[in-house]
Amino acid sequence: MINWWSFVEVVLAALISAGLLVTLFSAALRLGDGDARWRRPLSVALFVLCGLVVAFGIYLIVPALHAFGS
Amino acid sequence: MDIWLIVALVIALALFFDFTNGFHDTANAMATPIATGALKPKVAVALAAILNLVGAFLSTEVAKTISGGLIREGEGGVQITPVLILAGLIGAIVWNLVTWLNGLPSSSSHALFGGLIGAVVVGAGFGAIDGSVLVSKILIPAVLAPVTAGVISFIVTKIAYAITKKRERDGFKRGQIFTSSLVSLAHGTNDAQKTMGVITLTLIAAGWQDSGTGPAFWVICACALAIAAGTYSGGWRIIKTLGRDITDIEPAQGFAAEAATTATILASTHLGFALSTTQVASGSVIGTGVGRKGASVRWRTAGRIALGWLITIPAAGLVGALAAFIAGLGLWGIVLDVVLAIGAILTIFLRSRRNRVDHRTFHVPEPGVFVRPKKRKGKRR
Repeated sequence: MINWWSFVEVVLAALISAGLLVTLFSAALRLGDGDARWRRPLSVALFVLCGLVVAFGIYLIVPALHAFGS
Repeated sequence: MDIWLIVALVIALALFFDFTNGFHDTANAMATPIATGALKPKVAVALAAILNLVGAFLSTEVAKTISGGLIREGEGGVQITPVLILAGLIGAIVWNLVTWLNGLPSSSSHALFGGLIGAVVVGAGFGAIDGSVLVSKILIPAVLAPVTAGVISFIVTKIAYAITKKRERDGFKRGQIFTSSLVSLAHGTNDAQKTMGVITLTLIAAGWQDSGTGPAFWVICACALAIAAGTYSGGWRIIKTLGRDITDIEPAQGFAAEAATTATILASTHLGFALSTTQVASGSVIGTGVGRKGASVRWRTAGRIALGWLITIPAAGLVGALAAFIAGLGLWGIVLDVVLAIGAILTIFLRSRRNRVDHRTFHVPEPGVFVRPKKRKGKRR
């Protein structure tokens, strides 16, 4: 019937990844707003991390990128 | 019976279904960026159309059975004939258009399943439907999808508002472009596949293609173009429902909701628990509405959408069953079916012109417009 374990997996994976993306992006926006010199590079670094999360999303969407192994 | 005619009709209707699928689902990805002004309406649908087009070519994993085990096919089961597929498609198209007219974001896959179920029940009786698959693959996920996405969206909305200050939240608009693009791309890789599957199955059933082979290149091209054209035409009514009518969305909420939608869809496709994109997206919007302090969710609208989901399968099934019944009369029945379907499509289209909803509905004036000082008289531009 229903594979409840895979549903729990989906919920956890989605919660963690969405939480990570939103936290990174919010923190990047927060750090980008201020005068201290150390803030800007940190903010940029966080935006780059967001970019990596999105790139991982594209990797998951495009089968050609991850189907080679299987 | 002339097989040529039937196959041609099935392909035409399948492509039209693909088109309705496209404009029905533009809202899933683009309702929130349009609502917050992150993307101009026309730009948003163009972006979604391109990504759907690209997405359709990216994936070669075709659904081997269009029904996913719902209908007992093959040995000892029913033979799904092109005529039944034709009837099922008519049910799916008519129901997709009815929900569009009412601005309801309903699942196109469910409409397709419903139409096929109805047609098969008329063709082969209730025994042909696997009830447990219906419950475990459609009914239970239909409850879980919006709830899951809603809860995740609620939590990430809280996170976004806890971290950022008010004046920084405009920055979320840029992030929205990326998250909504991901949803569009994922949609293209999934949904165009369904139509490719339907057409390929029909070609195999007609004996024009070897069984076990994938879709021909022209089928992939045609389906990709149909879904992209549908997406570009923009289901503005559904975008309005999802982006405006459920709750008023701020950029931070839009970003949070899109992040929740993307994460849930990608997790569900890769961990083997399929969830409907439409239901996930709607759940996210509701979740983000509950998550922001001061925002209110219009539960009446949300209830209307839920009701739409509830009746999608029976309603599409009813139309599909009726179409299958008429088609059972022979060649003239099929012709009558198609005439009736075209009549229904035209009627719905004409009804829709009474109260137009298009991209102009979402026109958001630039903030500076109201405070720009008057130009001096006599001075030419």
